Amino acid sequence: MENLITELKLKIIDSLNLDGMTPEDIDDNAPLFGDDGLGLDSIDVLELIVLMEKSYGIRLDSPSKGKEVFRSIAVMAQYIADNRTK
Amino acid sequence: MKAVSIPSGANLTSLYRELVGNYPKFFKMDTLSKLGFLLTEMLVGDEEGRFTPREDRAVLVFSRNGCLANDLNYAKSMEDFPSPALFVYTLPNIVAGEISIRNKYEGETSAYVLEKYDRPLIDAIVRQAFQDRITRDAIVAWIDCPSDSEWTAMAWIETK
Amino acid sequence: MTKVYCIGEGLVTPVGSTVKEVLSAAREGRSGRLFDKGGFSGTSFFETIAIEAARKAIQGIEITPRTGLVLSTTKGNVEHIGKADISLAASALNIADAIGITASPIVVSNACISGIAALLQGVRMIRSGEYDEVVVIGAEVHSDFIHSGFDCLKALSPEPCRPFDKDRQGLNLGEAAAAMVLSARKGQWEITDGVIRNDANHISGPSRTGEGCYKCLRYVMEGVNKEDIAFISVHGTATPYNDEMESIALYRAGLSDVPVNALKGIFGHTLGAAGILEAIVSMAAFDSGIVLPTKGFHEMGVTYPVNVSAHERPAKGKLFLKLLSGFGGVNGAMVFRKGGAL
Repeated sequence: MENLITELKLKIIDSLNLDGMTPEDIDDNAPLFGDDGLGLDSIDVLELIVLMEKSYGIRLDSPSKGKEVFRSIAVMAQYIADNRTK
Repeated sequence: MKAVSIPSGANLTSLYRELVGNYPKFFKMDTLSKLGFLLTEMLVGDEEGRFTPREDRAVLVFSRNGCLANDLNYAKSMEDFPSPALFVYTLPNIVAGEISIRNKYEGETSAYVLEKYDRPLIDAIVRQAFQDRITRDAIVAWIDCPSDSEWTAMAWIETK
Repeated sequence: MTKVYCIGEGLVTPVGSTVKEVLSAAREGRSGRLFDKGGFSGTSFFETIAIEAARKAIQGIEITPRTGLVLSTTKGNVEHIGKADISLAASALNIADAIGITASPIVVSNACISGIAALLQGVRMIRSGEYDEVVVIGAEVHSDFIHSGFDCLKALSPEPCRPFDKDRQGLNLGEAAAAMVLSARKGQWEITDGVIRNDANHISGPSRTGEGCYKCLRYVMEGVNKEDIAFISVHGTATPYNDEMESIALYRAGLSDVPVNALKGIFGHTLGAAGILEAIVSMAAFDSGIVLPTKGFHEMGVTYPVNVSAHERPAKGKLFLKLLSGFGGVNGAMVFRKGGAL
């Protein structure tokens, strides 16, 4: 799980162009959206949906489903571990 | 009239760090938007009362190739998984939107595509834009960016 | 200030190639979003339909060195990306050559409000006194490029779109070309005002307060008596956010009770063609004394009150407003007044 979390953080930093951030900067349990956490927005949600399919073979049909899964890195990693097809 | 430009191939990240440094959305922008964003910083960076919402300043962006560089990037992503973050920049007017968001410009914004840098025609279009009853001045830019490494980028402020 | 009139119109759409045919389709709720391109063998379908619409609009009008051309499109020839020069400027030159316009063409590419932005540019060119006539053409064709993009934004509806309906699921993409000739010579319809305003909020999501759209309405209402408005042809893409935003802007502008319709259920979202196409169809509807129905609308699905015309009804008034909103935070409004009468 620890490896998946680090890998996921690196992929997120890369695909969302989070310049200058390292995996250590992202708290596993902090919200990804809203002002407290990474402050991601609606386009980022869509880009994370692409990341899920591209890297883990998981299809999320709607942004609202995405927002459930993308609550935090920990939630996202657990969802990937449970549902990944690649 | 204050006029600024960014040389073709310049390192935009360094320029951003020098001029701004605290606007992470910059890194999500396409090259066209980065150029427009930075040109505007160079033009209005020291303006008094900046960031107060205003409706009386227009943003008018001209080019020959629109957002072609980013169109090519998006088309490449289509071969695999089309990227929403790239697709949203596949319009020539997004740069004007980014300038508006950054500076709280709530006035007219438009993108024009012309066959070449035709200054008399650009000046005529800007004069015509001043027919708007509220517009008092305009950030005018010629940013032609056919690829992510080569461009012509200049901007100036025109007053009614 | 110089008055500017529409003195010619041309349409090329999947539901008809004359204003009359297209109006009938809109009245009867016959939708058609894509052309049958079976017999097409040219190099650019986009330029072909743009030229055809322009030729219809300029019938009987002499083209001179003082005739301008404004082209409205978002993506032009993008279906040929990587294989040809897809610059919108190159397309505009080809179109100008085909219809004999020698003045430098101007392309306005302002996302989904391009149509209003291009008409406004044309109006301003006439008012500047530097042009006698301006041909304004809006055109858009379907491509994998545009389709895949809206698909990855999760903006496409799996069913025919339902503007303002509680079950709306997004937009349908459409293709069309529409052209208008503007002039200071008196015509049946006057464009009395037009405006563009930016939300300054987000590049792909409309303002939660309808800021730019509201500012557009406030601007054009300076010259309009509310009682004179026969209807407002809204943008009405049928995405959850757009329609909600428009309801807020109309409410803030005190226009919640004015009849409203959206035509995307007939044509789909024709992007760069939408403003000009929907304005021409709205002029024709007004001339027939009606407010067109909003195909796809059944049950109110926005927070603020909007007087959506579900069915055809009589048009009462002297003018109509056209609204558009688009990516980049742009919003536009335009006033079309019958006969230019006060």
